[in-house]
Amino acid sequence: MAADFVQNWLATTPGFATPFLLAALGLMINERAGVLNLGCEGMMLVGAMTGAVVSFHTGLAGAGVPVAMLAGALVALVFGIAVVVFRTDQVLTGLIIVAFGDGLTGVVGRPYMFEKVAGFRDLDLGPLSDIPWLGPILFQQDILVYAAAALAVAVWWGLDRSDVGLRLRAVGEDPATADIAGVNVQLFRLAAVVLGGALCGLAGAYLSLASSFVWTEHMVAGRGWIVIALVIFSGWRPGRAVIGALIFGGAEALIPRVQAMGFDVPIYLVGMLPYVLTLAVLIVPTILRGERSPAPSALLLNYLRQDRR
Amino acid sequence: MLGPVYLVPRQEAPLWLRASTFVGGIALGLLIAFGILIAYGVSAGQIVNEFIVFVFLDLNGLAQVVTASTPLVLVGLASAVALKLRFWNIGVEGQMWLGCIAATGVALFDIGPDLVRLPLMFVAAAVAGACWIGIPAFLKLRFRVNEIITSLLLTYVAYQLVQHLLFGAWHDPGSAFPNSQHYDEGTERLARLGWGSTHTGIWIAVGAGVLLWIVMTRARIGFYMDAIGANADAARAAGVPVVLTTALAAAMSGGLAGVAGAGLAAGQEYRMTLFIAGGYTFSGIVIAFIGRFRPIPVVVTAFVVGGVYTAGDTLKVFYQLPGAITTLIEAVILLSLVTVEFFSRYHLTYGVRERA
Repeated sequence: MAADFVQNWLATTPGFATPFLLAALGLMINERAGVLNLGCEGMMLVGAMTGAVVSFHTGLAGAGVPVAMLAGALVALVFGIAVVVFRTDQVLTGLIIVAFGDGLTGVVGRPYMFEKVAGFRDLDLGPLSDIPWLGPILFQQDILVYAAAALAVAVWWGLDRSDVGLRLRAVGEDPATADIAGVNVQLFRLAAVVLGGALCGLAGAYLSLASSFVWTEHMVAGRGWIVIALVIFSGWRPGRAVIGALIFGGAEALIPRVQAMGFDVPIYLVGMLPYVLTLAVLIVPTILRGERSPAPSALLLNYLRQDRR
Repeated sequence: MLGPVYLVPRQEAPLWLRASTFVGGIALGLLIAFGILIAYGVSAGQIVNEFIVFVFLDLNGLAQVVTASTPLVLVGLASAVALKLRFWNIGVEGQMWLGCIAATGVALFDIGPDLVRLPLMFVAAAVAGACWIGIPAFLKLRFRVNEIITSLLLTYVAYQLVQHLLFGAWHDPGSAFPNSQHYDEGTERLARLGWGSTHTGIWIAVGAGVLLWIVMTRARIGFYMDAIGANADAARAAGVPVVLTTALAAAMSGGLAGVAGAGLAAGQEYRMTLFIAGGYTFSGIVIAFIGRFRPIPVVVTAFVVGGVYTAGDTLKVFYQLPGAITTLIEAVILLSLVTVEFFSRYHLTYGVRERA
């Protein structure tokens, strides 16, 4: 029974980790360019809602994904124009985007609440999926789980190894120097914000199309905020984001497992686990690390060309 | 836009410019909000009718506005007193929940003599709210942990706690829904004013506004708060007790939020439900920003937002619009306000500029 419990838990963990990973990769692209978009929760909501609506009308989960990404990107574009062009406060604007996403999805998504939609089912990879233990964990996931893993590699390569990534990081670390070197700071930031929004939209779509096959109001339930902490926890590195996402996904996966096993534990106190865990991973490294943070140096600072030193 | 344009921050924008970007920003937001409502089938005439005639020119409507404003004044003040110091308390809902739990605990277990039960409920609520923001405040001031995420996450923790209580020990066996038992009449409820559903909570809210105005404009701590809000490093260098002042402001913020939660329970619901604090965090932020973190303008703004809430409720009932429309309208208005303010915060210089 204990072995079953562990196996079931491990097999459901990747599905819970995927939305965390996707959104964390998106935010990482933003933040490495020096823009903190606290609106993650809002963009995920918009992605979850549009993905479900498109899937509901077309009957194709695959059609929901690009639309959700586009919708996330559009909301991010609103944020980007305000922050990058009109130099609004990043924190405040991010909070507005959360409320905007919450309000917009509540209004537009209302008729679609609790409608069953077509979603992504777990793949059956034949003999691979039948391997005891490893099969269910590694080879019985839905396609987006594998896509997220591939994206993590792509984002790592893009940020740390590619030419464009070098410029993007320069914009986030020292925009004045990047500016002098001929990098268009504002354009890079805007592009990073939009790309990040697309990934947050995808993360939201995962919740409605692969986790629950249904759209409900507020369904992101604070995951967007956990992701922001996850990015800090991962030290802005895609590789560590994978580990962080698995930890948070694992914690969340425990909740339905514990319920299914019929353990006599107070379920709402167990429900605090993801949030308390987030607080812990946020607090412990900050205390240990002290003043030296791996955050991009220009994070949260809007760039004004005449301020360059 | 992205070309050789230099943005130069204005040291001090002229009054006419600040006033016109303020009015212009809100007007633009209202215009977009009108567009959304019209797209949802509400005609322009109906909008004017709901938002102005019924809400502010009708006695029954006005009573609803006052009732809706009671918690909004308190959460607006709660946000303002923290944001004034750039302390981002975005866990107002969590503190409201804790205030609600504390007040309900005092009421359910009949703590204290009947005569002081109600004041005791509110004191407990204020203390509980202050303690709940105390966690992020301590972590920020002691360990520099970002208070934005901690205060927000604690809201989710608080809500789980509320559910734990309402689906468990505090569940009223006589109710099919997750509610606590009703507060006792007379000793544990705020008295009605005899005008619609208005209750004495409004005096608590307005009184808190006046008290905060005195503190922020007449007391030394108000001066300290101004200094920290303007530039925390300069304030510290000048000998302002930054940590103590920030801690006190955070405690005031959490306390006000706790009172708001208790006020909703003791003035309107007469019990704890799962829906008491929903959505108030963002409203508080909107009110604080429009009111420029100053208590009196915050109170006035809260009444206007109360009007939006009331009109939103009417639209919900008569036009089947979802309640989320209120949040959407608030977000649109604040976004357009902060965006348009760009024009009073910067002026644009074109072409090559000699470096000073």
